[in-house]
Amino acid sequence: MSFQPKIVGFLCNWCSYAGADLAGTSRIHYPPNVRVIRVMCSARIDPTFVLKALQEGADGVLICGCHPGDCHYTEGNYKAMRRFPLLKRMLASFGIEDARVRLEWVSASEGQRFADIVSEMTEKIRALGPSTIKAKLNTDRVER
Amino acid sequence: MEETRIGVYICNCGTNIAKVVDCEAVAEAMGKLPQVTVARVYKYMCSNPGQDMICQDIREHGLNRVVVAACSPRMHERTFRAAVQSAGLNPYLLEMANIREHCSWVHEEQDAATAKAMALTRSAVLRVAKHEPLEKMSADMCPFTLVIGGGIAGLTAALELADAGHGVYLVEKAGQLGGTLARDDLTAPYLDSARDLMTERLTRVGQNEKIQVFLGAEVKKLSGFIGNFNATIRTAAGNGTGEERSVDVGSVIVCTGYQEFDASRITHYGYGKLPNVITSFEFERMLRAGRIQTHEGRIPQYVAIVHCVGSRNREFHGYCSRVCCMTALKYAHEIKSAIPGVYVSDLYIDMHAFGKGHEDFYRHSSEVKTLFLMYGKNAHPVIRKAGRGDDGERLLEVNEQLSGEVIEIPADLVILMVGMEARQDAGEVARLVNISQDKDGWFIESHPKLDPVATTTEGIFIAGTCAAPKDIPDSVAQARAAAARILGKIAKEKIEIDAVFAEVNEDLCSGCRVCNELCPYSAIDFDPVRRRSHINSALCKACGACGAACPSGAIKARHFTDQQIFAQIEGVLS
Amino acid sequence: MAIRVNPKLIEEIEKYGAEDVTKCYHCGNCSAVCPHSREPFVFPRKSMRNLQMGLEDKLKGSLEPWLCYYCGQCSEQCPRDAEPGETMMSLRRWLTSVYDFTGISQTFYRSWKAELFTILVVTVLTGIGFFLYGFSRGDIRTYGGPTAFLPSSTIHVFDWIMGGVLAALLAINAGRMWWFMVGRQKGLRIPFFAYLRKAYLLPLHFFTQKRYAMCERKGPWLVHLALMLSYFAMLVLIMFFLHEMQAGPRIDWRFHAVGYVASLGLIGATLYALHGRWRKRQTQYRHSHESDWIFLVLLLAVAVTGVLQHVFHRAGWDVAANVTYVVHLMGVVPMLVLEVPFSKWAHMVYRPLAMYFADLLVLARADKQNDASAELARKAGVA
Repeated sequence: MSFQPKIVGFLCNWCSYAGADLAGTSRIHYPPNVRVIRVMCSARIDPTFVLKALQEGADGVLICGCHPGDCHYTEGNYKAMRRFPLLKRMLASFGIEDARVRLEWVSASEGQRFADIVSEMTEKIRALGPSTIKAKLNTDRVER
Repeated sequence: MEETRIGVYICNCGTNIAKVVDCEAVAEAMGKLPQVTVARVYKYMCSNPGQDMICQDIREHGLNRVVVAACSPRMHERTFRAAVQSAGLNPYLLEMANIREHCSWVHEEQDAATAKAMALTRSAVLRVAKHEPLEKMSADMCPFTLVIGGGIAGLTAALELADAGHGVYLVEKAGQLGGTLARDDLTAPYLDSARDLMTERLTRVGQNEKIQVFLGAEVKKLSGFIGNFNATIRTAAGNGTGEERSVDVGSVIVCTGYQEFDASRITHYGYGKLPNVITSFEFERMLRAGRIQTHEGRIPQYVAIVHCVGSRNREFHGYCSRVCCMTALKYAHEIKSAIPGVYVSDLYIDMHAFGKGHEDFYRHSSEVKTLFLMYGKNAHPVIRKAGRGDDGERLLEVNEQLSGEVIEIPADLVILMVGMEARQDAGEVARLVNISQDKDGWFIESHPKLDPVATTTEGIFIAGTCAAPKDIPDSVAQARAAAARILGKIAKEKIEIDAVFAEVNEDLCSGCRVCNELCPYSAIDFDPVRRRSHINSALCKACGACGAACPSGAIKARHFTDQQIFAQIEGVLS
Repeated sequence: MAIRVNPKLIEEIEKYGAEDVTKCYHCGNCSAVCPHSREPFVFPRKSMRNLQMGLEDKLKGSLEPWLCYYCGQCSEQCPRDAEPGETMMSLRRWLTSVYDFTGISQTFYRSWKAELFTILVVTVLTGIGFFLYGFSRGDIRTYGGPTAFLPSSTIHVFDWIMGGVLAALLAINAGRMWWFMVGRQKGLRIPFFAYLRKAYLLPLHFFTQKRYAMCERKGPWLVHLALMLSYFAMLVLIMFFLHEMQAGPRIDWRFHAVGYVASLGLIGATLYALHGRWRKRQTQYRHSHESDWIFLVLLLAVAVTGVLQHVFHRAGWDVAANVTYVVHLMGVVPMLVLEVPFSKWAHMVYRPLAMYFADLLVLARADKQNDASAELARKAGVA
């Protein structure tokens, strides 16, 4: 039985969540490894969410937002776009592989694209193997 | 603190979910979670019996939180919120788990799908435990409206509102009302007089006491939020000094219109250099004056009309300006009726005869022997000088698509159908009222199909050609639509402010002001005295950008708090 | 080199019956539905376009109008009611007048009054002429034999002279047709042998009208074929067996048979066409130019008087037979001298010629293409 990655997906309500819904309506099949959490805008994604997910044992994190220029709140995805490189550098310094955390733009009409992204990411992470973060950390949780 | 009692409901959705997900197993697993009081399965949760089941459980089991694992919340969140509300529970104490679009419909393998459904439902259970009841607020709705622009759209909107008994401030930049329609002679396709249309509007506006007209005026500032705007109107007075007036309005309709494309930008038509190459607007002037003649004062024997000047052209504007095809046919008719024996050729790429009466108009133009010549998008007609002994002063050379030949046709007069483009000052207006422009400068509507007159800023509406090229019927329709929306809000007398917004915990706020510039709705301002940021809940659209950015964690994004999202993360991964 | 558009040509050709050409917006449905339209002769849309733009030279040399049999399906399909079928018909009328070097055809088509007047003049002159001739040398009571009012030997000579004149006129016009279509095209080389090799096409199309059979509705083809074959049979009988036809009771039964069948065919087909044009139910009969009526009425008159003449003679009423004979000739002369070379009848020559030229052109273009590719191949050092 090959390793089944657990991927947490943060999808924005207006574009990417709708795109994932469209994949469902179109009955486009993809691997069952992603678990979606809905936010209103990709700008809502605090980098600590990503860290929390990895800490709780996620093997990968996928953040999806509207294509630049199409954000329902005008500029939210630009904020996500700005935060992301900093987050990646931080993760890299923790030794977390680049392929584990991704930022993608998925529009409400791109059901197939969402499915393709999930499939691709699942295979890449399967090849990388399970994340060792949860095991290495002690059980102290970060509480706010 | 009250004990959390959660009801979990798994929907079969007929066989949509049940065929792949073992709903009984999910219900059983959820039933074992702490704080879950009941966990049930039902065939169709959204049906009346399904909803009644939830309501009955709320009453019987004293549930104070509900989770529905079923289709996408985008489908039925509203349904279930209304259902729990009818049982006396705050609608925000509900959470849905999407085990259909994101699970049963996209996975085949039953064990994996069931495990995922369990994870998603568990996640919803942990989240809903952290939900708080939220109440909608209300504010006053000022019944006055500001209409920016006095063309056909602005005049129509103002009349619609004033006839319903509400005051309107109509602000027009030019020295007179009427906009671009006031420059027209007849209108396609029924050849009604534009003058008649305008006179009717202008007379009624002039006579209506409820409409205050500001000519030669501009809106300099607009602040506030829906139902409670304040506008500063600046009128250029005759003596050079301006006069400012501050008015309170509940809504704003932007009807600033368009400007015509500058034909001299296309050098190979020779506009501005060759005499007798004129634009459609200059031709309208000729028609209003009642005499069609060349620059030298002669009656033309051959007239050529060229479509798509500045439109459908990647070099200038890629879009279609929508009205020019029918206007060109209007010219063909008017020329033929004015000059017997004239030969009219119409050079087009495609004939856009989309509206009511348009196809008949097109057919009629061919019946009166207009010669239609089709040219390709990338091979425009070329204007050359005619030889001695040739009919006509100029020759147009066209790579004609319908015959496949390169042909030339004489022309004494060439009319260029110039396209519409966004006004130079459209950017200023957009910033003034806080709406966005698309890549061509047109104002963006809230939803291109379902919400064409509203914008993402509540209370600001757009109507007419400032949003995109359109003809008179559509401009009037949009103006009346915007007015109707506003009348609906005025009738309610109060504005309902959505319960989901962000708020600053002033105890935690350090006054760093990082959030101030982040808000796309300018909803966050800073109190310099208390040195704290404050969010105007009426303006806030709950995108959460500020919540993620606050270094002190002082901003709580209601209904999407950090705690709630952390609970979800734990839920999907445990 | 750009071709000059001439918007005035339509006004010209409207006189030949093209009324709704400007309505065409080139959807191409007509060319798609036409059973005869295929590469390299695709129509009627292209012809409509050339007409709209006034490309007179192209139209003059075009074959397409002759490949059309007016089944009317194009007009039925046309979403704009631009009547492509009738336009092709008007182009045929126009081309007939273009090929005609005398200018008579043009006059007739443009003015039905001129046509009618000329026919009447010829009819009256013929009548006077033959009555005078008959009275001068024969007995009106005698139909056959050397003392006949109109002896077959004389009429026979007259017929042949008339035939010769008309054949000459047709030949010249056919030559002009060849010139416009084939001769003046530069760079097109059709070897003389090809002309001989393909010559069989002429009688083939003339006698079978096989392209007409390709139309979806076979009825019109059969009627037209009946008309043509009947006409040809009568022509042969009259040109070669006039003496035997005027032999009275001693007429050979074979001539009787052919004669009756041919007459039936002529009258039947003509009545069918007249009825169709009157009722206007079939697409191709909805529009009738004056020349169409004149042609049919004249043909019917000739056929009926021909039959009557024979009937009177067999009944023994030779005076009536002779009078009918003169009346018959009063119809035959204008028909053969005016209608055949200058009006609709000329189709019997132009249509087969068009099929013939079409084949030759296809051959020549294929050769040209082969030559061109052969040339390229040679230059590339391959062949």
